[in-house]
Amino acid sequence: MGLVGYIIRRALYSILLVILSVLLVFFLTHFLAPDPAAVWAGPHAAKSVVQAIVSEYHFNDPLYVQAYYFVTGALTFNFGISPYFKQPVSSLIATYFPRTLELTFFAMVISVLVGVFTGAFAAAHRNKKGDYSVRLFYLIGWCAPPFLISLILQLVFSYKLNYFPTSLLADPALATPRFVTGFPLIDGLLAGDFPYVESHLIHMALPVIALTFISFGLITRIMRSSMLESLKADYVRTAVMKGVGTRRAVYLHALKNSLIPVITVIALTFAYLIAGAVVVEFVFGYEGMGYLITTALYNYDYPTLVGCTMVITISVVSINLVADVMYALVDPRVRLGG
Amino acid sequence: MGLIIVVAFYGWSLLEGVLQFAGMVLHMSSLGWVLLPSDPFKISLNQALLGPSPAHLMGTDDLGRDIWSRILYAAPVDAGVSVLVIGGGLLVGSLVGLPAGYFGGLTEEVSMRSTDLFLAFPALILALVIESTLGREAVYAVLALVVVWWPSYARLFRGETLRVKSMKFIDAARLSDLSGLEIIRRHIVRSTFNTIVSYATIDLGSSILVYSVLSFLGLGIPPPAPEWGSMVSFGLEYFPQSWWYSLLPGIVITIVVIGTALLGDGLRDVIAGEQ
Repeated sequence: MGLVGYIIRRALYSILLVILSVLLVFFLTHFLAPDPAAVWAGPHAAKSVVQAIVSEYHFNDPLYVQAYYFVTGALTFNFGISPYFKQPVSSLIATYFPRTLELTFFAMVISVLVGVFTGAFAAAHRNKKGDYSVRLFYLIGWCAPPFLISLILQLVFSYKLNYFPTSLLADPALATPRFVTGFPLIDGLLAGDFPYVESHLIHMALPVIALTFISFGLITRIMRSSMLESLKADYVRTAVMKGVGTRRAVYLHALKNSLIPVITVIALTFAYLIAGAVVVEFVFGYEGMGYLITTALYNYDYPTLVGCTMVITISVVSINLVADVMYALVDPRVRLGG
Repeated sequence: MGLIIVVAFYGWSLLEGVLQFAGMVLHMSSLGWVLLPSDPFKISLNQALLGPSPAHLMGTDDLGRDIWSRILYAAPVDAGVSVLVIGGGLLVGSLVGLPAGYFGGLTEEVSMRSTDLFLAFPALILALVIESTLGREAVYAVLALVVVWWPSYARLFRGETLRVKSMKFIDAARLSDLSGLEIIRRHIVRSTFNTIVSYATIDLGSSILVYSVLSFLGLGIPPPAPEWGSMVSFGLEYFPQSWWYSLLPGIVITIVVIGTALLGDGLRDVIAGEQ
């Protein structure tokens, strides 16, 4: 089968999955909705506007025609106009999504680092105090609602200690750098606008910490059980017998091989982080995708909600694909046809 | 430890839920708060936003209502939602997953690809879209969550069925001329039960978590009915000065969810020990 064959197969399947998920959303929004045109137009739309929506989005046409327009629209990132923001949904997403991606990127990197080390630590101190304290720590992160963690962080670090600001992307007095990529960090760096970059980083700190705290537990768990598996393996015992100290044997040999299952969890973590970002961004007033979604929700802005859902789903499927490919690269057993 | 929390939570919810239901049926709504420290709906504006004190264990909200009473009053909601969601998820999941694992072939392919489809959406996002479409009521929240949850159980049931399928007693059952469905019903369900139970327990907590986020975003039961998630969001206006309004319901949620997680983990250790 080979690596290339595997990648092609997975990529094709992912594309199919994206199309199917668009169809599922279509089914939800056009079939299940009691009055699709009215929902699409927004709650304050006049009768004439609703009529215009009906013809524009083909709501009176047979179902398969509607499906065709919807799917092609979705795949070309045309999600209609937002009744609340009065802008094309795609431009809204292009503005807000990169900001959330920044948060998720940092949160994922830190989660993986923290998760890998705490997992290895817990495995090495199995069933002793170290293990239990790690478990308690991630249990709290995992079980607490995202809004609680964000609020507590805000209370302690922003209001009481005044270390971090409480909201927004950056100091509102600073001008936003020129829009190049949409990622505030990159745009700021490209423009050489270091005060902005610094302010933005400070404003990102608490949301990133909140997101990391919520999600690192997943990785810790996998890492811990995967380490426990590896520690039993023969090559570790060989290393110990050869005279490599037990400590080194644990942290070097077992660690490397334990990392493999972590890759599979990374995709899951990304999905979880996006969902968490919705709440975290709301609490911190961070104007990213989560903010867009909650605003759309509060203002019954249906097209924006649908557009965001699809973009998020496409991202999740893509990350899954990347993770699968990485997994195949690392573990030859996968691509050899297993 | 987890057992204590879970039993306390569900036991209380059952008791309180029965009282509330009876009160509703008998048109004696005060029946619902007979066990509570204070009337959860009583508004007294001169007592608004008081901090925690012996009179009001968790302080009062912006309308002077006792928060602890409201938390207790709202407990059956979350308990009920979690039971309905996980029950529904188990039901649909088993209907899809058991045949998929046992019969294999096309049934399995179709089932597993559809779980892939639903699992491609982050849980919260899918639930948001479903509720926005159907209507912002708790009923649709439950429905949305069942739609979100069943794929994981379908996968679980299929995996467990595959594991159990190769065991000897299944071969014996097949030889004894039982139909496939019969075998599933009698033997496989019983064998997969143990593992499923520990996951379901943990998921009870997770469903409470997701539901609390939904209600935080306004997609749960509308006011003035208390609900843990929505209480947090109402308290945001008064944060951080009246921190107890937002934080305490959130902490209660955390404790309940931790309880289920501990219990589920404990169950899993016990089951793994037995196998």
